[in-house]
Amino acid sequence: MKKFIIITTVLSMVLLSVFSFYEPHASKQSGFYAPRILYWGSQGQDVRTVQDKLLRWGYYDGKVDGVYGARTYRAVRKFQAKNGLTVDGVVGTSTAKALGMATAATTTASTGGVDRKTDEYLLARAIHGEARGEPYVGKVAVAAVILNRTRSSSFPNTVASVIYQPLAFTAVADGQINLTPNKDSINAARDALNGWDPTYGCLYYWNPVTATSKWIWSRKVMLKIGKHWFGV
Amino acid sequence: MDKRRHIIAPALLSLLLIASLVWGYNQNQSRINYETALENTYQRLFFDIKKHVENVQVNLSKALVASSKEQNVVLFSQIMNEAFFAKEKLSQMPITHAETAKTEKFLTQTADYASYLIKKHMQGEDITQDQRETLNSLQSNSQAFNQELSKLHDSLMDSNFALGAMSNQQKKNVEEGNNQVFQTSLVTMDKQMGKIPELIYDGPFSDQIVNKKAVGLPKNDVSLNDAQKAAQDFFGRDRVKGIEAFEEGEHINEARLPAYTFHLYPNSQSKDLAVYMGVSRKGGKVVWMENPRPVSNAKLSIKNAEEKALKYLKEKGFENMEANYSLKYNGSILFNFANTQDDITIYPDLIKVKVALDTGEIVGFNASAYYMNNQERNITSPHLTEEEARAKIKTDFNIDSARLAIIPSGANEVLCYEFKGKYNKSDFIVYINALDGREEQILQIIKDENGTLTF
Repeated sequence: MKKFIIITTVLSMVLLSVFSFYEPHASKQSGFYAPRILYWGSQGQDVRTVQDKLLRWGYYDGKVDGVYGARTYRAVRKFQAKNGLTVDGVVGTSTAKALGMATAATTTASTGGVDRKTDEYLLARAIHGEARGEPYVGKVAVAAVILNRTRSSSFPNTVASVIYQPLAFTAVADGQINLTPNKDSINAARDALNGWDPTYGCLYYWNPVTATSKWIWSRKVMLKIGKHWFGV
Repeated sequence: MDKRRHIIAPALLSLLLIASLVWGYNQNQSRINYETALENTYQRLFFDIKKHVENVQVNLSKALVASSKEQNVVLFSQIMNEAFFAKEKLSQMPITHAETAKTEKFLTQTADYASYLIKKHMQGEDITQDQRETLNSLQSNSQAFNQELSKLHDSLMDSNFALGAMSNQQKKNVEEGNNQVFQTSLVTMDKQMGKIPELIYDGPFSDQIVNKKAVGLPKNDVSLNDAQKAAQDFFGRDRVKGIEAFEEGEHINEARLPAYTFHLYPNSQSKDLAVYMGVSRKGGKVVWMENPRPVSNAKLSIKNAEEKALKYLKEKGFENMEANYSLKYNGSILFNFANTQDDITIYPDLIKVKVALDTGEIVGFNASAYYMNNQERNITSPHLTEEEARAKIKTDFNIDSARLAIIPSGANEVLCYEFKGKYNKSDFIVYINALDGREEQILQIIKDENGTLTF
């Protein structure tokens, strides 16, 4: 009996120490990269997006936990069979497209790596984090403000440094920018990059309900799009 | 036996306690590591900013002393670099934009001004008296900035507080520290920077270019009602069942292109798929339109789409427009149309038209660049012949086509010979000034399966 106690003690020690040194990798920011191919074992925000969509359309009955397990696999196969796709349980380009998820455009060798896709995708993520509940024009407007800032002398001059400027966007501070952007956000980013600016050159926007800074109200107010006021 | 049983529960509990202590200790350690790493980054940024501003100040003083163009070009390029670095790093500090906006502007414009002077030097011009005075004021301002940074540095060393604020305890310290030193110091600095008069020069960040007003619009003011009518007529009165104006702020008239903005509800689309339109307050012109309806079955050819876009522009009163580049996305194709006058392409007068590739409907229209720049132009005839301009180009650049075009150059427009061609398998456009033969601009053309982009 004494032996038994010692053994359980040692075992539980070991177990507990494993637990205490366990680093929660899964909780780290995921969905950091452009949409990728998802399969059994994949984890991350994009898996969550797939699960959420399949759940809403009645293919999936499990938890939306961002882990591609057996239930997700079966749901994806069901979805593929229903939609005339290759039934392989893998979310590749065509399945992602059928799911209405934004897919990274195909790479082109001829451009020598010079393109606009990085700006486009980052902008889309910022839109998705900041304004996914807004009407389409509100999304374009948010992207236009970011682009106007890159051309302003009192802001950094690249899309990335404007977006990641400390204390500039709440969606960046709380990690929502790392969600996978939807189609609307990507299109809004493209329209803004192609020169549509519903704000007529504005540099700031704020939500009158949640804005806490007094300073923001001293801006010159131009117009209201969706929930946001825009100004310079 | 009973006695032993009594031991089990306390033993397990104490084990749990130990385990959670270990866990807590680890968490705390990693938190401290993250904080230190972040803090170190901020400290580094601060010291760097100090150094860069110092270099700006010193180089400006040297530039005032230097008499040769060669020396000046070297100094100005250093000033440009250092000022941009300082600005880049300042924008990474955990300070709100409100507290550094003017300081950042000062740094950007110092860099931009230096780059402008380099260009002037390269064109063989000397520094004028006005420019010398501007340099003088830039020098004294960067000196004031530098002194403020020195003071800030001293107090930072004294109180030894953290710039980053992660834990509650630190947050308190930083808040106190911020209120006392950091913020006050930066706010003072920002206020001083606000007093600097506008820099007058021709560069992308100069106030004249940033605050440029539209020149292509009629002068008459238009009422909301008339604008609403114009919007409906533009889209087709019988195609809309409703129209609604966006709420406006009191400063809308100070926008770059003051306009009324509307939601239009087309008959064929559900209410949440509105069409958006901006109508200028001067002259009541439709400046932009956007119809975000989904395009499902793309079947139209590019050529067909281009014809539709051109016909649309003619209907809207834009004659002589010429399609240039196109870009396909989201089932639609976007054309860039430039104005032409006497067979000369005028790039500043740009209109973008987006055609849905299912029905050929125009789902996007953007004439803001056109209305910003369009005006009566007296185009002087070129001083160089095409042959003379051609001779200015690198010999192994394979020219495919050549023509005259007007391109924007800073605040001005210049008449150029436009040479499209290839160098090393890449596509480029080279612009040679048609009046003085200067190489005005080079654009690289990037083509992929969706269209063309210029860089």
